Amino acid sequence: MSVTVLSGTKSGWHPIASSSDLVDRHVYQGQLFGYEFAVWRSDDGFVNIWENRCLHRGVRLSVGTNDGAELVCQYHGWRYANRTGGVTYIPAHPADANTHSSCARSYVAVERYGLIWTTLDSETSLADLEVLDVLDDGQAFPLRPIDLWVTSETTISHLERIEIGCPTLADSTKHSDLVLFVQPVDERRCVVRGVLSERPDDEAKIDVLRFYSAELGAVRDGIEKSAGVQAAPEPAAFKVHPAVEVSIGLSSATNRQAAVPVRVRRRWNTATDVVGFELEAVSGQLSTVKPGSHIDLHLPNALVRQYSVVNAPGELDAYTIGVKLDPTSTGGSSTLHGEVVVGDELLVSQPRNGFPLRRDAVHTLLIAGGIGLTPILAMAQALDHQGLPYELHHFVRSQNHIAFADRLEALGTNVTHHLALDPDETVTQLQRLISSYTDAKHLYVCGPAPMLTAARATASANEWPDHAVHFEYFANPTQQDQSSEFEIALARSAVTLPVRPGESILEVLKNAGISMASSCEQGVCGTCGVDLIEGEPDHQDVYLNDTEKRTGKRLMTCVSRAKSSRLVLDL
Amino acid sequence: MIKLYDFELSVNCYKQRLLMSILGVEFESVLVDFFPGSEHKGEEFKKVNPLGHIPVIDDGGFVLRDAHAILIYLAAKYDPTGNWYRTSDPELIGETAQWLLFAEGTTNTASAARLHDSLGYPFDIDECRSGAHKLFRVLEEHLWFREQEGLDWICSGDHPTIADIAIFPDVMLSEEGGVSSQPYPAIRRWTDRVKRIPGFVVMPGIFPAATA
Repeated sequence: MSVTVLSGTKSGWHPIASSSDLVDRHVYQGQLFGYEFAVWRSDDGFVNIWENRCLHRGVRLSVGTNDGAELVCQYHGWRYANRTGGVTYIPAHPADANTHSSCARSYVAVERYGLIWTTLDSETSLADLEVLDVLDDGQAFPLRPIDLWVTSETTISHLERIEIGCPTLADSTKHSDLVLFVQPVDERRCVVRGVLSERPDDEAKIDVLRFYSAELGAVRDGIEKSAGVQAAPEPAAFKVHPAVEVSIGLSSATNRQAAVPVRVRRRWNTATDVVGFELEAVSGQLSTVKPGSHIDLHLPNALVRQYSVVNAPGELDAYTIGVKLDPTSTGGSSTLHGEVVVGDELLVSQPRNGFPLRRDAVHTLLIAGGIGLTPILAMAQALDHQGLPYELHHFVRSQNHIAFADRLEALGTNVTHHLALDPDETVTQLQRLISSYTDAKHLYVCGPAPMLTAARATASANEWPDHAVHFEYFANPTQQDQSSEFEIALARSAVTLPVRPGESILEVLKNAGISMASSCEQGVCGTCGVDLIEGEPDHQDVYLNDTEKRTGKRLMTCVSRAKSSRLVLDL
Repeated sequence: MIKLYDFELSVNCYKQRLLMSILGVEFESVLVDFFPGSEHKGEEFKKVNPLGHIPVIDDGGFVLRDAHAILIYLAAKYDPTGNWYRTSDPELIGETAQWLLFAEGTTNTASAARLHDSLGYPFDIDECRSGAHKLFRVLEEHLWFREQEGLDWICSGDHPTIADIAIFPDVMLSEEGGVSSQPYPAIRRWTDRVKRIPGFVVMPGIFPAATA
């Protein structure tokens, strides 16, 4: 039997845990060279290694909870997504989905030899994770890790001079080699992680583990004694990386051109006329997505279309969208249905959320019509995951028209399908569902325009306040009038620009070199909204609700215009 | 109804609240101004407990002191399943007693360090912390091998016992006394399991785990 002692450099790869340390719904606390980690495995098996502090108040994330899809900080409930570390929800800002797009600092994780490996240097390549001749990943058998109150340097120098016995009790590991990885924890402590090159027989397993636990434990005691350790050292002050402002999503530089390459991983018929697509990143990691979000999809024919993302919490290995074939398609859905196949590469925007979900409602009523199900389903999955009270009513033509039936089925009795209702029956049913309003109830509706109009009218008649009624249209059904002529004054830029008939404010701004985020460009998604300081707006969008339109403090620049001769914008 | 002479921040009082909650035993807290009033050291309280410490219970006139003794009494009397303190099995009685004595050790080291750091008790803090780490190393190895054998709890068998209750808060709050639980991953996983016992209740510094 040979014994090999190994330890990496400051920028190299180090084991920080055993694979078996990361049990279901647990957050493991690890440390390397003074940097602390919260390490957790999601229900989909992904290993997250994050800096061990909440972005908010610096509390250790390792005292938080792993709910299988997200890590929730114990202090103020900030939720961080599996895979990205992106903040998905801040309970103190229930209505705010977009402004916070920060991420926990994450480190790369690799599982090998039954251990979890990471490196402090994101530039370190995977090839540098030394492949040991003596260890075979499938056979390697990790031992109980042993922590020492001694530096890794001292420990290594001792280990190199020490004889380690061989168990006589297990024939199967007689010829096994032993590799001892020394993990520097901080300036005063280290962990020795032993791995045998051969897995013992099942009946000998515990005895082998006990043998090496005792053997290495005795070695530990010897090293600590000769190093003069009297008492457990105080942990060295833990190190933190300097804060970095990470901004993704709706930054001022984001516009329609900013795009991420994705590949079609799966394409399937999820319902009559509805094709599901799973879009995975061509390289790297997709951005965090929150319920209600949409992405711009850049099609091979250069068209750009918006699709809501169906993903459940923590599901960030691919974006899932549902595309309904529109019989009057002008090249969006017809191209996706007719031409886009598995393996094709497309571009998508970062996810944006103009339809954010509050999670502080005493009850959430979700109503979807047809393919309007997609954002509503993402919301239902998020509420379901957190165990919050909700019901989802899905108005759909027939059983065969129900998209994502498997996801809906998983939500159980919270979902009701209303099949094959005519327009009058739909209105009657909506009136029954959207009955009396009580405090802190919230309604979310997405579907065809007549249904949305009916739902909003019913809510209004039953005295639901505008702030409790959330909606998203597929398209803007209002008759657009671009005949007015006016000027816009940009208060912060001290620039005044004319807007002529047929031009939109958005076009004028972009032509003047002002960086504006936009997406649907028809007054549906809310991306291009600006604050209005002065002037009488001519709202032509379907994003703002009636109260917001009446107060006139915000304006969608893609379609809305001015009734006054001048608008002063907060730009 | 059982009266518990109680202080919210006391780990030993919490052990009683936790077990009674799990067993569904109703009780009434008689709040003792342990800090800053030191009511437990006053003449009036010495009539309840001449040793001047809490917790103490009064169960219909039967008065009992000392946290781990109270756990034995409550489990023996109020757990009809007999799982929390298995008096039918001599080995398990011995094992449970062994780990209850171990819990005296964690209370006198880890929880003493916490009293030093948070309430200013004049203990030898280095001794408290080193003592706690020595015990935690033993507990870590014990629980690590329990996991290897597919077992979840401190004593043998597939059900938690009062030994789990007795050690749990000393471990959970050790950080407040400067004793990091980071070197003890098997202990940390076991605390998650304790938190998932039906009837689990929290105290300041001890939060629920995610459902498994």
